[in-house]
Amino acid sequence: MTRILFSDKLDNCVAKWRSAGLTVIGPVQEEAISRYAAVEKGTDLSFGTVLPDRSLKELFFPQTEPMTSYTIKKNEIETTDFTPPQGKRIIFGTRACDASGLAIDDPLFGWDYKDEFWFQRRNESVIVTIACTKSDDFCMCTSLKLAPDSTKGADVLLRPIVKNKGWIVEELTERGREAFAIISEYLLESPEPAIPTVIVPEKFNLDTCVAWLQNPENFDSKFWKEISMRCIGCASCTYLCPTCHCFDIQDEGDTYSGIRRKNWDSCSFALFTMHTSGHNPRSTQSARWRQRIMHKFNYFPGKFSVNSCSGCGRCSRQCPVDMGITETLQEISKL
Amino acid sequence: MITQERYRTTVKELLANGSIKMAIGYRLGSTPDRRRPLFIRTSEEADQLVLDSTCMTNLSGYLVTEGLLSDEKKVGIFLRPEGIRSINILAAEYQLNADQIVIFGFDSTGRDVRPLDGRNVGEFSKLLNEIKEHPLQIVKEPLHWRIEKMNAKERFDFWQEEFSRCIKCYACRQACPMCYCRRCIVDSNQPQWINTSSHTLGNFEWNIVRAFHLSGRCVQCGNCDRACPVNIPLRLINQRMANEVLDGFDHFAGLSPTQEPVLASFKKDDTETFIL
Repeated sequence: MTRILFSDKLDNCVAKWRSAGLTVIGPVQEEAISRYAAVEKGTDLSFGTVLPDRSLKELFFPQTEPMTSYTIKKNEIETTDFTPPQGKRIIFGTRACDASGLAIDDPLFGWDYKDEFWFQRRNESVIVTIACTKSDDFCMCTSLKLAPDSTKGADVLLRPIVKNKGWIVEELTERGREAFAIISEYLLESPEPAIPTVIVPEKFNLDTCVAWLQNPENFDSKFWKEISMRCIGCASCTYLCPTCHCFDIQDEGDTYSGIRRKNWDSCSFALFTMHTSGHNPRSTQSARWRQRIMHKFNYFPGKFSVNSCSGCGRCSRQCPVDMGITETLQEISKL
Repeated sequence: MITQERYRTTVKELLANGSIKMAIGYRLGSTPDRRRPLFIRTSEEADQLVLDSTCMTNLSGYLVTEGLLSDEKKVGIFLRPEGIRSINILAAEYQLNADQIVIFGFDSTGRDVRPLDGRNVGEFSKLLNEIKEHPLQIVKEPLHWRIEKMNAKERFDFWQEEFSRCIKCYACRQACPMCYCRRCIVDSNQPQWINTSSHTLGNFEWNIVRAFHLSGRCVQCGNCDRACPVNIPLRLINQRMANEVLDGFDHFAGLSPTQEPVLASFKKDDTETFIL
């Protein structure tokens, strides 16, 4: 027997979680875009999209975040540190690629310095992944050796049952068990079969690509210029990416008072590596695109033993000039 | 298909006889409804050229890629009428020499695509003037009417809500042929004119500055609107600004390579006194 959460009980569950003090967050279809957002009712959640336009990362690593405010007086400097908002939350209905993205970034944010903004949110969030039963042309989790029902980064895995009447519940961590204990009265033993997870075709051979990237001779390959000729150098791929994590620290204000903020930054921008002298070690867009690919599939795994890509495909899906990681790695596999 | 085949042949001929060193066009994209930019340097690459009604991107921004035109050789480019206007503006703003640009003009109605006569911007002068006098009746979308009915406060709230989605990826800027500045105002940090943060104020500053900077320069090609990953209806802002400039100064951007930029020129007999 398996335990089922029927979708007509979702409103009750959301109410229950909320009364237990959890903020309930999930995929929401807004007028213009879809994203993960806080909801008050289960019916506000939307499970129809392949995956939300915006990734899960922004709930852990927002596009702008205050760190410290400062006031400089004649003989003293006053500072006040901001802390990330406190409060437990349950993120119901993440996609496996988005949840994996969090797990991929954990070692990065905890490597030489433990980023309290990231980890406080991580520790206070229960991640409930729903296995995918549909995909689109851009999904590529399987090419990254992940899967539409990957449990990476998740505390609970749900598998949709036929007619989308609900989900089979698989609790994976203690945190997940605790969160689902709150709604245990709505979990029913039932022999409902799960809808098979979608088959996402493999688009490139990752090992072949990684071997090519690791060969130092290919750093100066003509390939980089050719593949990135049409790149316009915007940051939509990096900002929608569930694993891209670069940020800049900026002081906003004047000499006497202001706020120090942590803002998303992108290797796509020329300014990202611009030196004060005016020299730019990554002076061309091809060098910047090479950096993005090398970082994800060579440098990051070299340091943390995991690729910095979970195969969501947002980079290709949203690219104004129809580029992306998929095409680049497909072309590398052919070299 | 006939237009596409003819253009493939033309591009091959011009490449073979050295008239152009490259042509910028379109090829198939990663899904059936997508087209992606194509840089044609060989006959084989010309065979990849696709020209149909789904080729929407205004490619003229690629012409100002650093170094592309510095050898004074000619470059061909596939352009809709809006794109041809972009060439005129870039020439008028001294960003390129219009004589170096060989235009492969096209337009479409429904699914039918047709060539436009001419190769040099000057040859499109009549067509562009006709477009100014008889602008295409754009079917106004529901959102347009919604905004028209709003008062100033409601409009402000509307745009604040729209801009709240902005993530400052600058895809609008990078996709825009007019955003060629080597150093954009948001990249300038001594002093920091505009907050880099993507919060309410920072997003407002960025989008408003861009709207004003494009007034009298935007040709409504739609590149920014299509590029925006969070679907901010940027087209509506730029359309409105273009209409203001047309009404106020009778200025229709991109009519000729010598047309004076409306907000970067002044007349001694200007009826407004505050700026003189």
